[in-house]
Amino acid sequence: MTLLNLCLALPVAGFLLILAIPKENHRAIRTAALAVSLLVFGLSLGLAVRFDTSLPAYQFVTNVPWIASPAIRYHVGIDGLSLWLVILSTLLTPVGVLVSWRYIDRRVKEFYALLILMESGLIGVFVALDLFLFYVFWEVSLIPMYFLIGVWGHERRIYAAVKFFLFTMAGSVLMLAAIIYLYTQAATFDYPAILSLVAEGRLRFSPLEETLLFLGFFLAFAIKVPLFPLHTWLPDAHVEAPTAGSVILASVMLKMGTYGLLRFSLPLFPSASREHAPWIAVLAIIGIIYGALVAMVQPNMKKLVAYSSVSHLGFVVLGIFSFTQLGLDGAVYQMLNHGISTGALFVLVGFLYERRHSLEIADYGGVATPAPNLAVVFMITTLASIGLPVLNNFVGEYLVLQGTAQVNFRWTVFAAIGIILSACYMLWLYQRAFFGAAPEPVRAHVHDLSPREWSAILPLVVLMVWMGTATQTFLPPIGAANARILEHTRQNVEFHVKQRPPGAASAEVARAR
Amino acid sequence: MLDTFFFYAFALLTLGGGILTVTRRNAVHSAMWLIVSLAGAAGLYLLQGAEFLFAVQIVLYVGGIMVLFLFVIMLVNLDEAAKMRQFNKQWWVALACVSGVGALVAYFLRQGAGAFRLARPPQGAPILEGNTERIADVLFSEYLLPFEIASVLLLVAIVGSVLMAKRKV
Amino acid sequence: MSQYYTTTDHFVLVPALMLALFGCAVLLFEVLVFPHPRQRKWLLLFVLLGLAFAGAGVWRQQNFLASQGIEELTAFGGTLTVDGFAIFFNWIFLAASLIVTLISYRYLEVEGEHHGEYYGLILLANCGMFFLATGTDLITLFIGLELMALCFYILVGFLREDRRSNEAALKYLLLGAFSSGFLVYGFSVLYGLAGSTKLRAVADALASREPWDPVVFLALATTAVGLLFKISAVPFHMWAPDAYEGAPTTVTAYLSVGSKAASFALLLRVFLMPLGAAREVWEPLLAAVAVATMTVGNLAAVTQTNIKRLLAYSSISHAGYILLGLIAGNETGIKGVLVYILVYTFMNLGAFLVVVALRRKDLLGEDLDDLAGLVYKSPGYAILMLIFLLSLAGIPPTAGFIAKYYIFLALIETRHYVLAVIGTLYVAVAIYYYFRIVRSMFLAPLADTGPLTTSFGLRLALVVTGVLTLGIGIYPEPFLGFAQTSLAR
Repeated sequence: MTLLNLCLALPVAGFLLILAIPKENHRAIRTAALAVSLLVFGLSLGLAVRFDTSLPAYQFVTNVPWIASPAIRYHVGIDGLSLWLVILSTLLTPVGVLVSWRYIDRRVKEFYALLILMESGLIGVFVALDLFLFYVFWEVSLIPMYFLIGVWGHERRIYAAVKFFLFTMAGSVLMLAAIIYLYTQAATFDYPAILSLVAEGRLRFSPLEETLLFLGFFLAFAIKVPLFPLHTWLPDAHVEAPTAGSVILASVMLKMGTYGLLRFSLPLFPSASREHAPWIAVLAIIGIIYGALVAMVQPNMKKLVAYSSVSHLGFVVLGIFSFTQLGLDGAVYQMLNHGISTGALFVLVGFLYERRHSLEIADYGGVATPAPNLAVVFMITTLASIGLPVLNNFVGEYLVLQGTAQVNFRWTVFAAIGIILSACYMLWLYQRAFFGAAPEPVRAHVHDLSPREWSAILPLVVLMVWMGTATQTFLPPIGAANARILEHTRQNVEFHVKQRPPGAASAEVARAR
Repeated sequence: MLDTFFFYAFALLTLGGGILTVTRRNAVHSAMWLIVSLAGAAGLYLLQGAEFLFAVQIVLYVGGIMVLFLFVIMLVNLDEAAKMRQFNKQWWVALACVSGVGALVAYFLRQGAGAFRLARPPQGAPILEGNTERIADVLFSEYLLPFEIASVLLLVAIVGSVLMAKRKV
Repeated sequence: MSQYYTTTDHFVLVPALMLALFGCAVLLFEVLVFPHPRQRKWLLLFVLLGLAFAGAGVWRQQNFLASQGIEELTAFGGTLTVDGFAIFFNWIFLAASLIVTLISYRYLEVEGEHHGEYYGLILLANCGMFFLATGTDLITLFIGLELMALCFYILVGFLREDRRSNEAALKYLLLGAFSSGFLVYGFSVLYGLAGSTKLRAVADALASREPWDPVVFLALATTAVGLLFKISAVPFHMWAPDAYEGAPTTVTAYLSVGSKAASFALLLRVFLMPLGAAREVWEPLLAAVAVATMTVGNLAAVTQTNIKRLLAYSSISHAGYILLGLIAGNETGIKGVLVYILVYTFMNLGAFLVVVALRRKDLLGEDLDDLAGLVYKSPGYAILMLIFLLSLAGIPPTAGFIAKYYIFLALIETRHYVLAVIGTLYVAVAIYYYFRIVRSMFLAPLADTGPLTTSFGLRLALVVTGVLTLGIGIYPEPFLGFAQTSLAR
């Protein structure tokens, strides 16, 4: 039993434990959920400690047969890419437990059981090295989220839950078809084995095949990210979800999409990825600017943060499809940053909602007076989110922009507009909600952070500063993993030499002379 | 020659009777035409030298089942049934299906009997005993099992009809 | 044939004999020995005994085949063939009959139509199914089919006071008789081609002919119409929603799994063995039918508000998926069909079990709204229903996913990419309507506070189907192995 398997199995055990507690005993249920999630977090830190960056291979590997024919194996392991995403999942689950402590007051048992069960599915997605297993975890993590939104959400929760579920499923069934096709060509579901087949040139696809397979995977991931124009489910899901649901959804589930792009799309289909990179990058940039513009006009805080997610994730996709070491590093770093800072934003918005029972910005104002600590923490998070130096997002965004600048400077220019816009909408939100005169309900109901709330938000704030200053804690494993991914994307790429019009060629020759 | 004449005559009876059965509005007329059709089929059996089947067809279907049918038809209120909505509006679909099958049959006729390459009877030896003995022989040896299953089938049919018909079980 | 009824014949026939014997015994004993309504539970014992004896017979056949290392055992001069395929299906039928018997007792009391004939007919229908899976002779297959169908005609109309039930039975009977006519016409042409009713002889005769031979086509088309009707494939599906809705729910459950599995057994036997030679003819035909079936089944289910009707359309769409496995036709495909049918049996039965529990004296319990807020009232039932629905939709880690996965794998292996993509896309549609039920159960407020109609048998059946539906999904290996050994033909 490796540490990794423990991380996967413990939440399931915790799920069963919570089911065994009588449902009236809310306190025991919450405590058990917190204890289990903290234990898993502790174990996952052990992963980071014992992770050896110098090793190129996957670590903490378990590889045992699951289904004999056709061979499907329980094959899990982590590299520098999955390591931090696993820890992000295990970190945000206890945060989710803490923020739901008061917020969830009905059907408490089911809520925590699902939350803990979902953790297992989320970790599984990031560590599965068998495509079939990956698909299973991918789907398994969906169902708890459907219920978290559908049962504990706000007014339009059912609509949002169904929309979320259908969008994601529609994308992933095609991925299943692509996975099975890949299996029939490679005769294995094992991801490292398929990768080495591709690398050695023993598995080759015709351009059409590769494009279709790439699109099969890409659609599933792009919906999850979500890439413009497939993002429409996201604002609904976020607005309607309970705080913990929003936190997990934004911080971890969206990363499943970008993780899939990095882990599977790029190395498996290098030619197709490079060929389609231009329009994907354009979509990402549209997403960055569109998300920011729409966020600016939102009267609803959660919706604002949700659209800001669309914008932030655009950076990640842009970084991935820049095909540069810097861009990839920045993308992964930005995935983590977004997990921390947007997670923190949702937590804080949740705190405000618990006090004032409204998500409308117009209902707030002058919150800084009754709740100065809350205001400070919100300020730090806001600054982190808009990419202030010393805080985490700055590093990720900078790396992405630097990476894209190496490829196409115009992309950088347009993407940078998004950063400016993000400062506009976030600071405007802050000004409207926290400054000015406090209306009566705000003064009556909004109080400062309680110890429980501090314990939920403080780790995130610490991480914002840590990730903004001590980047070398995190970057080396990421860089090593990304270097390997880039290596794969260079192998077996069909180079297309574009036929130039003869006039242009001769003009160039003339200029050269 | 005479065989051919009788074949066409009986075939005409069978087909014509069938068509009239489904096109008549009056249930009694339909039943009568069904009798004609069944009798035509019986004639075809006779032409094939299957006298036992011929007898069974006449005695059971024409004599037994159809008479029961007529009883039932006359017991229920026919006037009301005739006034109720009729579900035979799908003339065109039926016509299309029939002409499709007709085209296939016409194709076979054009090809001639040789094109069918139907299997020969299993044994080429001249058949000495009559058709009835052969049916008995086959029924109680080779088809013993289906014969027995058919008895269970009939039992189920009886149970079902009693169950449906009786007011209080 | 020197001897008409040998020891081998008997050995092969034992399960059917037991079913028929106990079926008749139930009919007799109800009248003669246990006339009082309160004594009816003893009849249940007879049914269970009959199923147990039949199961013992199948078990001994299975052991015999394994111990002798032979692939098949023929009896009655090739009329019956016991092979892995037959044994596989017989286990499914017996399991379905057992579960349906367990849940029927209480349900029929509630409906007020509790008669011993019901159990007799269940056993006799199972007897008919036995011949469908085991028979290798056209006449035996046909009579077996009719035996099963006749039992179902009666069972569908079992609620004699209920207009819907009567109508359903009549519609099912008329259309069923019509399709039987087609089937028997096709069989007669097959006989004409081969000069024998044994499937093996028919296969030999067809193998020597051109696949596009018009006579073969005639036989193929008519046989296909008859068989497709029985599995409720489009365009021969019209009876299914009405029959499913009108029939007593327990019968609907039995009809949707037992009758469908048996008809698929027959379809596989006929299409793989005698008509296998004409594969290039029927493959595009069946592909069109399968696509139409999935389309109509899935799209029509979206708008249904009656759960039984919704499940009827969903079962139509499942028939489409199973057909896809046959169209792929390689070893994975046939294995996929078997796994699918096995899995389908349990998940579909399970879903109907929950519907059965909803029926009360004063409540039909068939509307989507009757499920509203079920999770507040009986969370166990709601969660089990969720598992069944996830499985029906094909979401991991449930059994339905494994089944669908095999079908898609086979399709892609045999380069039927378009079919595979269509199939996967309809999964997304299916999720929508299955989740309408989930939505109603979990997200809607509690509408009806009356207790569910439960019984020990129902709870037992629910647990068994639930555990299997989840268990096959998480650890499918033993069941896949079972299907694999059943392939050896």
